[in-house]
Amino acid sequence: MRLRIVRVTAWMLVVLACSAAGRALADDGVRTEDLALSDENVLGHLPALHVDAITTRITGYNQFGTGYQSKSGPILGPGSERLTVFEPQAEIIASQGDRITHRIWVPVDIISSASANSIPKVPDVVSGASRHNGAGTIEWATTYKSDPVTVLSMSTGVHLESPFRSWNGGLGASRAFADQNTVLAFNVVGIFDWFDRFEVNGRRDGRTERSSTLGSVSFTQVLGPDTVVNVNYGLTVQEGELGNTWNAVPLTSGVRGSELLPDERVRHAVVGRLSQFLPWNGALRLYERFYADDWGVVANSAEAQVLQRLSPELYIGALYRFHVQNAPAFFTTLASPNATLRTADSDLAPLDSHTIGAKIVGDVPVTGIARVLHYEVEYDRYFRTNDLRIDIVTCALGFHF
Amino acid sequence: MNTSVFEPRALARVVFRAGLLALAIGAGGCATVSQNRRAHLADPMMGVTDEPLDAYRRQKLYDTREGAAGGDGAAAGGGCGCQ
Repeated sequence: MRLRIVRVTAWMLVVLACSAAGRALADDGVRTEDLALSDENVLGHLPALHVDAITTRITGYNQFGTGYQSKSGPILGPGSERLTVFEPQAEIIASQGDRITHRIWVPVDIISSASANSIPKVPDVVSGASRHNGAGTIEWATTYKSDPVTVLSMSTGVHLESPFRSWNGGLGASRAFADQNTVLAFNVVGIFDWFDRFEVNGRRDGRTERSSTLGSVSFTQVLGPDTVVNVNYGLTVQEGELGNTWNAVPLTSGVRGSELLPDERVRHAVVGRLSQFLPWNGALRLYERFYADDWGVVANSAEAQVLQRLSPELYIGALYRFHVQNAPAFFTTLASPNATLRTADSDLAPLDSHTIGAKIVGDVPVTGIARVLHYEVEYDRYFRTNDLRIDIVTCALGFHF
Repeated sequence: MNTSVFEPRALARVVFRAGLLALAIGAGGCATVSQNRRAHLADPMMGVTDEPLDAYRRQKLYDTREGAAGGDGAAAGGGCGCQ
């Protein structure tokens, strides 16, 4: 009942915001004159669709470590979490007239060696799909500038992978105040997942599903010519099967059991961001996130990025992120067979994690069809206290037209 | 089940941090910076959020490896990396 009230309230906020923006446009006589001075009226007919930017990014992850949920190891664990992921992405941003912008974005994951070889020659999700898997998503977001300070947005997308299908749809709105020194924005997203259920021995056991409803409110404020801050509060309500169904839990009886999780979860997160321009043509970006949910997980993440411009076309940066979280009460690495809730997932364990990274970013003016060539190369190292290490390399290349 | 999120200490911590952020914003909220003085803010280095494709891959990295993901307006989990 409580979840339903939260959802209904979130959707009502969206409807109210949309109608408020519409009323503002309808009631304000000045807007009619603004429309008379639109780009189309002044400059003549605009092309129906203009591609503003095309960007591609390729990221590689090379992961090492162990976790008690993995079956790739001794029965009482921990098992291997060895994993490699190759993740290409492509994004096209196009404008349709002077008010509408479309963003079409396609990320793909190609995964290999995920907990492989745990049950040789059995065609289950652990030894088969998880050994070599592909996943793809296509997302389409459209924004509509209803007046110079109000933007409405709508998005939808589908995600496909071997035992898993997902659909999402969202609505959002933002409005600027005080000569655009202040921006208030919010959005609501619904996500529906359908996927195969597996028993702990890898046998398929029909289909299952879950739904997630996300709402967020964001406030951005210019504090001075060199400083801007952003605060965001987000709420996520999830219902249904909240695990992947094939995670194992070592049992005191000496065998592996299935992971048993609650069928709902309410998550809260407050995020603060600050960007400060530095006098030597650099920038300092700070990020702080506090998280809590009704499973009893409380977490804190902090990140700092220092960036330095070397020329008008080139800057470099370094980052450090620290994350600490506790575990839900039902986390264990050795559970009773009679436990009604249990997980041994290393991602839900009490842990500290660290990320260090460095990057080079360039925007080079070019002649011809495109105006600017954008490129970026970054290396990150992620490591945490419960035996997980990842090397990450990412490269981006894009054109702005 | 541990419901520490609703315990007074955890709640107080959230309120305290939110208050600090609100204070920081409120302290400068009255100042209006004209658009011709925002050149530094327009520098790509100064974005409060990452470029979207970079933000996606970073968020996915953390969402699929830390149980305290989501809640900040982005999808949590999905596919092999649930929760």
